[in-house]
Amino acid sequence: MHFTGLDLLFWAAGFLENVALLFVLCYRRRAKGFPFFTSLITLSVVRAIVLYFVLNYGTKESYFYAYWSLAILDMVLQFCIVYEIASRVFRPLGVWAHDLRSSFVLLLSLSVTVALALTWLASPPARTWMQVVVTEGSLFSAALMSELFVAMMALSISARLPWKTHVAKIAQGLGAYSLISVLIETGHSYFGVGRDAPAYIVLSQVRIAAYLGCAAYWIIMLWRDEPPSREMTEEMRVKLFSLQRSVAYDLQELRSRKKW
Amino acid sequence: MNTHNIYFIAAIGIFLSVIVSIAAYYYSRSHRSSQVSWEELFGKLTWIDRNNIAQVALDLVDESGQPREAVDVANLEPSQIWKLMGGLEGLEVLETNSEVLIDLAFYVQQWYPEALVVAEQLRLDARELKWHVARLKGAALTGNLEISFPFYAQRAAVTYYLMTRRVLGLYEAGNFSMLADLQKAL
Repeated sequence: MHFTGLDLLFWAAGFLENVALLFVLCYRRRAKGFPFFTSLITLSVVRAIVLYFVLNYGTKESYFYAYWSLAILDMVLQFCIVYEIASRVFRPLGVWAHDLRSSFVLLLSLSVTVALALTWLASPPARTWMQVVVTEGSLFSAALMSELFVAMMALSISARLPWKTHVAKIAQGLGAYSLISVLIETGHSYFGVGRDAPAYIVLSQVRIAAYLGCAAYWIIMLWRDEPPSREMTEEMRVKLFSLQRSVAYDLQELRSRKKW
Repeated sequence: MNTHNIYFIAAIGIFLSVIVSIAAYYYSRSHRSSQVSWEELFGKLTWIDRNNIAQVALDLVDESGQPREAVDVANLEPSQIWKLMGGLEGLEVLETNSEVLIDLAFYVQQWYPEALVVAEQLRLDARELKWHVARLKGAALTGNLEISFPFYAQRAAVTYYLMTRRVLGLYEAGNFSMLADLQKAL
């Protein structure tokens, strides 16, 4: 496999940024709050190392299996991050906001249907069935991810559920990357895949450049602390605590009512 | 370019336009709401006679929100409830005000994350109030408003009354200077 100077530059930059992001997640103690996101970044670092060795010392077949099994794991982790973000936004008190459950399921079903419809419309020029599956699968995943991020944003703002700063930053980065991925996968579906297709190489470089931008954004945003909230006086804390105690019982009772 | 590809590219174009428009709309909405001043929020409250709401609510529950003893409960006649609540229009005002109450709690929560429990309670209360009003709108369409009104309207009044108590409690706990204005309005 022949790599150009730009390919190697992107590879090195991506690897170094992922290492830097992983360092920020661990050093600034964000990893505990975002286990799936941290796992995804860890996987990206491990993947780069594994693929480097398999490419240099393994067979073409072993590279193929290593590449695609790690790519599938990457996709699974991306959907786990959607869950991670949803659980941070829609479980403000550690319990899923049940009044939003039906809206969430409806939006999820709608998102899957739209993503399936787009995938059905795509007819990528490909030589093997594997290329068709990969291209259509990537388009489906990118469309679904971008829909889910927008749906979560719309639902939480309508319900007035606040986003904590770091959760919002991770979601913004992944949402933007998913939208760019939709464009790239559209290009793949239209022009075809494989290193012999010139458009494929350009689109892959655009994808890596987009990822580098997102990773740089996460490094900066996750390094920074969340804006501090104003400190409560002891008297205020006591009064608020008694008020919260009085509403906690009502909240439990209200949640037990399934009708609405 | 064949017909199939034209459909595909057109579908992707529409898809991206819709997704980006929705994201931009909600982003600007969220940005706007975070910039709203307390005075602007307060100005969104529609005036209602709080004594009437309290009278209807306290016919069913005591001041802490606990159901009254069977002997004391539901003394108001349906016609009195209708008059005190201002009919279905009055309930629609409660529905609108309940959204403002959530915003008022959310305003405090931006400074004091500890107010989250109260804000979440208010959100669920508003949902319950909407549910009562929706039942009454449904009853109005089927011609059963007169029968359904006392039941749902009184429960909506209780929910709204408790919401106002919670918001006042929150502002009192925070010792906010706006408490006096709120007490007059609620």
